[in-house]
Amino acid sequence: MSSKPKKQDYKPSEAEKASAAVAKAEYEFFKANYEPLLIKMRDKAKDENYRDSIRGRASADVAQALTSNLSLGQVTNVASAGDTAAAYSGQLQKADEGAKSVKNKMATGVLGTARGQAAEAQSGLAQVSRMETATALQRAKENQALAQAKFTAGVQIGGALGMQGLSNMKQGRSFFGGTELGQPAVGDTPATPDRKLGFRDRLQAGSFGNLIGG
Amino acid sequence: MFGPLMQGRGRFNQETGEFEPDGAGGDYVNNLPAVSDPEQTYANITRQEYMDYVENYREFEKELIEQAQTDTSLIDYAKEDALASEERTRQIAERNRSRYGVALTPAQLQEQQRSLSRGTTLGGVQSVADARIAQRDANQRLLADLINIGQGVNRTSLQQLGSAASDANARKRAYQSARAQAKQQTIGAVGSLGAMAIMALAI
Repeated sequence: MSSKPKKQDYKPSEAEKASAAVAKAEYEFFKANYEPLLIKMRDKAKDENYRDSIRGRASADVAQALTSNLSLGQVTNVASAGDTAAAYSGQLQKADEGAKSVKNKMATGVLGTARGQAAEAQSGLAQVSRMETATALQRAKENQALAQAKFTAGVQIGGALGMQGLSNMKQGRSFFGGTELGQPAVGDTPATPDRKLGFRDRLQAGSFGNLIGG
Repeated sequence: MFGPLMQGRGRFNQETGEFEPDGAGGDYVNNLPAVSDPEQTYANITRQEYMDYVENYREFEKELIEQAQTDTSLIDYAKEDALASEERTRQIAERNRSRYGVALTPAQLQEQQRSLSRGTTLGGVQSVADARIAQRDANQRLLADLINIGQGVNRTSLQQLGSAASDANARKRAYQSARAQAKQQTIGAVGSLGAMAIMALAI
């Protein structure tokens, strides 16, 4: 006959005891050190103001894009004000969108962790700082670049014209390189009518179809 | 009481296949308080976890669910910005003019104002339209994330409940089986006793 079951045969093994003790200690450590962090993150997700800092960055982007190379031409360009206003609105809207995304991502990360689901490792804040440029800012930048290019081209054409005009005048011709209507140029023989006329003469000749001296 | 292996002091040598104790390091495991009733401890922790969740996160979760369905903050901000950008741009233009010492003629000022109003209106319309799309997108994404979390919670709780139901069922069957066995034993014992009594009377 078998003996009565002994109570000590049903005691937990040392491995089981150690496992339970470690698990409880780990749980207590988690509650003491990680739980408060998660609650802090929850408060941060609720109350932290990401919006202002991201909007500040967006405003700085607009200012840098549109006024970093400020010129007299831009200052007096009355049409550019509308572009700037639209660029600000567009860029700030993008900033708000980014801030909202960061806040929501953080909130769902905290909740997911609290509910035993996977935690979100990144807040995405760094991504928002590399915010995409709003269409309005891009348009304003392009308009500004176009205006600057036009101005530069104007200065170059005007400069070339002035230099040529001065050179013509030094040679005894008019500013545009011609002579008085029908008069010979300096050094020309009287028998040869001067064909190098000024701009006005050429326009007249073209308009009325009668060449000088004819 | 326990050897070095039990106390966790030392390391396992893969070449020799032996545990090599060392004198350094504290006995962290054996210094831990023993868990006298793991089942009760587990029950307490489960209960405490749920209470902590209700206290710390329930309201937060409800706010997020509400926000995912009703939030219009991006649209509101875009409207505010559209109104404010005209004044801000005018001030920028004034500052720039004063830096260069430029004064605009009344006609230029009028044109600037027209340009500003046009830019503000068009920019504002564009921003608000973009904000509407962004708002819908943000709310949808938040809702999807919350639903994912909810699905995970639902799955876990159903698993727990399934496990509890399975345990309850196993206990019920074990009880019924034990009862039937006990009945059989009783009947067997009574039968044996009866047979023995008959045999005793016969002798």
